Amino acid sequence: MSLWVDQYRPRTLDALQYHTGLSERLKSLAASGDFPHMLFYGPSGAGKKTRISCTLRQLFGPGVEKLKIDQRIFLSPSKRKLEINIVQSNYHLEITPSEAGNYDRLVIQELLKEIAQTQQVDLSAKQRFKVVVINEADSLSRDAQAALRRTMEKYMSNMRIILCANSTSRLIAPIKSRCLLMRVAAPNEAEISSVLQSVARRAGFDLPPSAGDKIVEDSGGNLRKAILTLEALKMQSPDLTGPLSIAKPDWEAYCQKVADLIIGEQTPARVMEVRSKFYELLSHCIPPTVILKTVAERVVDKVDEALKADIMHWAAFYEVRMRTGNKKIYHLEAWVIKVMSLYKHFFFNIDMSEFD
Amino acid sequence: MPPGPQKKATATRPRTVRLDGELASSAPLNVKRFDPLSAFSKQLTPTPTPPASNHRPQIKKGKEKAKEAPLVDDYLWVDRYEPTSEAELAVHVKKVESVRQWLNEAFDGGPSGKLSKYRRILAMTGPAGTGKTSTIRVLAREMGLEILEWRSTISDTPPTEDGPRDDYEGLFTKFEAFLTRASTCHSLFSESISRPQSSPARRLILLEDLPNILHSQTQAQFHQAMNSFVTSPPPNPPTPLVIIVSDAGMRGEASDERRADGRGWGKDKAEVVDIRTVLSKDLLTGPYVTEIAFNPIAPTLMRKALQAMLNTHFASVAKSKSSNLAPSKEALDLVVESSNGDIRSAIMALQFSCVIPGKKGKKNTTLMLEATTRREQSLALFHLIGKVLYNKRKDDPPSVSATAKIMQREKDLDKVLKDPKPLPAHLQHHERRSSRVDVDTLYADSPIETSLFSLYIHQNYTQFCTELEHSDGVADWLSWVDSSGGDAWYIANPHQFHLLTLGTLHSLPSPVLRRSQKTYKPEFFAFLQKEKDAADSVRHTRDWVTQDNINGEFGRRAGGWSRDDVILELGGILKARDSHPGHAVQPPPMHRLFSRMEFTRTGSSVHSQQLDEAGLPIDEGIEPDVFYMPSSAAKTEDKETGGWLETDDIEDFP
Repeated sequence: MSLWVDQYRPRTLDALQYHTGLSERLKSLAASGDFPHMLFYGPSGAGKKTRISCTLRQLFGPGVEKLKIDQRIFLSPSKRKLEINIVQSNYHLEITPSEAGNYDRLVIQELLKEIAQTQQVDLSAKQRFKVVVINEADSLSRDAQAALRRTMEKYMSNMRIILCANSTSRLIAPIKSRCLLMRVAAPNEAEISSVLQSVARRAGFDLPPSAGDKIVEDSGGNLRKAILTLEALKMQSPDLTGPLSIAKPDWEAYCQKVADLIIGEQTPARVMEVRSKFYELLSHCIPPTVILKTVAERVVDKVDEALKADIMHWAAFYEVRMRTGNKKIYHLEAWVIKVMSLYKHFFFNIDMSEFD
Repeated sequence: MPPGPQKKATATRPRTVRLDGELASSAPLNVKRFDPLSAFSKQLTPTPTPPASNHRPQIKKGKEKAKEAPLVDDYLWVDRYEPTSEAELAVHVKKVESVRQWLNEAFDGGPSGKLSKYRRILAMTGPAGTGKTSTIRVLAREMGLEILEWRSTISDTPPTEDGPRDDYEGLFTKFEAFLTRASTCHSLFSESISRPQSSPARRLILLEDLPNILHSQTQAQFHQAMNSFVTSPPPNPPTPLVIIVSDAGMRGEASDERRADGRGWGKDKAEVVDIRTVLSKDLLTGPYVTEIAFNPIAPTLMRKALQAMLNTHFASVAKSKSSNLAPSKEALDLVVESSNGDIRSAIMALQFSCVIPGKKGKKNTTLMLEATTRREQSLALFHLIGKVLYNKRKDDPPSVSATAKIMQREKDLDKVLKDPKPLPAHLQHHERRSSRVDVDTLYADSPIETSLFSLYIHQNYTQFCTELEHSDGVADWLSWVDSSGGDAWYIANPHQFHLLTLGTLHSLPSPVLRRSQKTYKPEFFAFLQKEKDAADSVRHTRDWVTQDNINGEFGRRAGGWSRDDVILELGGILKARDSHPGHAVQPPPMHRLFSRMEFTRTGSSVHSQQLDEAGLPIDEGIEPDVFYMPSSAAKTEDKETGGWLETDDIEDFP
C-alpha cells in the first residue's frame, strides 16, 4: 500500500519544501550535539510528523528508518494485562498514549525508565541518546504528564523526548517549559500548490493549474488532505481537465445536512430526527467534537448575525460537558435544542434573558 | 414517606400478585415496602405463637417433612425434569426445526448431498435459559448422535509465574488435542458396545465451556483452531461442531459507556463473550458457520412447559403423601412473568416456591416468588418510566379512562400533598404545582441504575414535550447529570438519579398532553454496537495504511496515521479506490462501515424496540403465537391504545 502522501513524503530535512527556516534550525540543532527535548505543535496536515522523522534521520542516519513493531505487555495495578504496540528502531521508539487509555501514565513510565536505563550499545551510533517520540501528546492524561516531567530531567543523559501535538493548550506548563517548542504552521496556498506540483511531477503527470487551485482551496491548509484529494481526483478523472468537483467526505456532507435540519424546523419531533442522525454519525466513529464543530459552523453560516455568538457559546459550553461526560449524544442533543430555541425565539422576538 | 392510599388485593390485575395482599385487607397500614433480605425471617415464622415455643415445633416439622417427602431431594428440577423429547421442549417449534435441519444437512448433506461440507460449525446464541443446550441434547438423542463435550478442567499443575513449563500441558493444548481427536478418531467404547457394526456412530462436538476467550492470546489460538477445523476436510462420517454462546453484556453497564466514549482503555478489546469474540469475523461471515439465535421463551410456551413439569412432579410426589402444595395459578403466572423468558430461572423459582413448608401456602409462595424472582427490567421499569414522563401533579384532571377507584386514590393522594410556597416574581416561571411523584420511593424501587435510567428518559422524553422549551430543560438536565459525575465510576455523582428525575419533572409540561405515547427501549446500544464494528474497521484500515510504511520500501514514517486522520481524511481516497477496481492493492472492504454515509430523511438504521410491561424483546416474526394468547404482550397492546397508565395501579406496585 502506498498512498502518495506516504510515497512522496520528504525523507530528509533538505527535501522539505516549505518552512525552510525551521528546517535549517532543526539541522543545526541535530549537528550541535546538544539536542534538547522538543515539542512539535501545529494544525493537522502541516507536516509535524514528517519533520520529526526527518530530524531523526538527520540525527541518526538512515538506520532510523528500519522500523519494527513490538508488542509489549504491561501489567496494570489491578494485574490486568495491557498489550501495546510499539514502533521502534535501534535509535528511537514511538508511542501513542491513547492506545493505553487510562493507564498511559504507567506505560509511559515503564517505557521511559527502560529506555533511560539502557545505554546505547551501538558504538557506531552518531548519538549517545535514544529518542522517544510521543504522538498525540495532547491526549496524555494529567497524571502521565506529571510523571513525564520528572523523567525528562532525570534521564536527560540517555534519552530525548519529542512530543507531537495539535495544540499546546492541553499540556501542563512544566512540560512546555522543559521542551524546545517548534511550531509547524500550516503551509500557505502557494506552498501547498508547489508541493502538489512536485508530487504530480514525481508521479509522472502534469497538474493543470486550475485543478491545483481548486484542490488548494478545498484543503484549508491541510497538506495531507490536499495530496489525498489529488490522488483521489487523479484516480477518478485521469486527465484532470475540465470542470472538477471535489466531493466532500461523506461525513462532512452529512453534518451539513444535519445543520439544515436544525434550521428547517424547531419541534420536539425534529429533535428526534436530528438525534438519529447524530447516532448515525457517532456509529461511524466520527469524533463527537468534530461533529459538533462541523454542524455548528454550518449553522452559524446560515443564521442571522445576532445569533452567531450565542450559538458558538453554547457549542463551546456543551463541548466541555461532552469531555467530562460519557454519553456524547446527550450533549449534542442539548446543544441542538438550545440552538433551535434560540433560533425560534429570535424569530418570535421574545425576550431571551432566560437563556443567559 | 406519606402513607399511601389504601389498596386492595388485585382482583383486576392477576399479574401483580401482592406480597401483603392478605395483610393489607386486615391491617391497612402494614408495611408497604418489602425487604428481600429480612422478609423470610419475618414471614416464615408463625406469627401468633410466642417465641419460646416457637423453636421446637419448627424443627419437628422439618423432620416430619423430610420423612414424608423423600423425593424432595438434592436434585434440582432443572436437572430432574430435563426435557427428553421434542414435545417437552419449550423452545419454539420453528427453532427446533431449523436446528434439526442443520444437523441433517451436516450429516447427510441436504438435498444435493454436498451441503455437509459447509455445515461445519453451528453457533447457537441467545440469552441464558432459552433452551439452547436442551434443544441440542434432545435432538441428539432423537437422531442417535453421540455428543462429545469439552469441559475445561482445572489444570493439574498450576503454572507458576516463572517456573519450568516444559512438561506442563496447557489447557489450550489439551483443548486442541481434544478437537483433533474428537473430529478424526472414533470412540472405542460407545461404538462397539451400543451399536451394531452397521455404521460408525455419528457424533457431534459440543462446545459450551469455552477456553478463556477474553485473553487475547487464547482468543487468537482459538480462532486459529476453529479455522483449521473448518478448513480441514471433514471426516466420514462428518463431525459437526456446535458452539453455544449465551449472550451477556450490552445492558448499559459502565463498561459499555466507557467503550462508547472511545477514549477509555479497552475500546479495542472485547469485554464480554459474545459470538463475535468466539468466532473470528471471517469465519462468521464465511460459509462454514451457521448462526441460530434463540429468543427468550414466549410466556405461553413457558407456561405450558412449566405446567407439564408440575403435573409430572406432583403425580410422582402425591403417592408419598407429600404436604407440598402445587403452586397456585397466580404463582405460576408470576413465575412466568418475572422470568423474562429465562426458563431455567423460572424452574428454579418454581421449585423454590414448592419447598416452602407450611400450610399458609399461597401467601408464602407468592411472597417468596416476589423476593426470589423479581428481575431487572421486568415490570417495574415500564412503570418507572411512565411515572416520570407523565409528570402527574396535584389537581391534575383525571384522565378519561380512569376508573372511579383510581380517581378516588388520586384525590386521597392530593389531600396529603402540600402545596409549595409561592415563588417571588422573578422566579415565576419556575412555579409548579406539587408533584404526585415521590422521588425517594422511585429511587428505592428503581430496577435499573441511573445511567440506564437516563438512557430510557432520553429515548422517550421528546414525545411528552409539547414545546421546544420543555425539551430544552430535559436535555440540559440529561447533559448536566451525565457530565457531573466525572469519567470514572468511583467519582460518580451520587445524586444523579434524584437530579435527573426532579429536573425532568420540572421541565416537562404539566399536565402532559396525552396522545397515546409509546415508550421505547434506548437505541443507544444498537448504535454502540455499530460503532464498535466501525472501530474495528478503522483499525483494520489503519493497519492497511501503515503496514507497508513499516515493512515496505517506504518504511520511514514516524507516527503513521492517527485514528482520527484515518476516519476524517481517508474517506475520499477509499471511495476512489472502490470505484476504480483493478488498482494493485485494494483497501479492506469493511472500511465502508466508517467511510460511507448516506443521508436519508426516512428511517434509521436501527429499529427501535418498544418497551412493554413484560419488558421482553419479543420477536414478532418468529413466534407469532405469542400474540394470540391472553398473555402480557396482548394485554399491553390494548392498554397502550387506551392510555394504559390511567388504568394501571402504579401505587399498587411495591
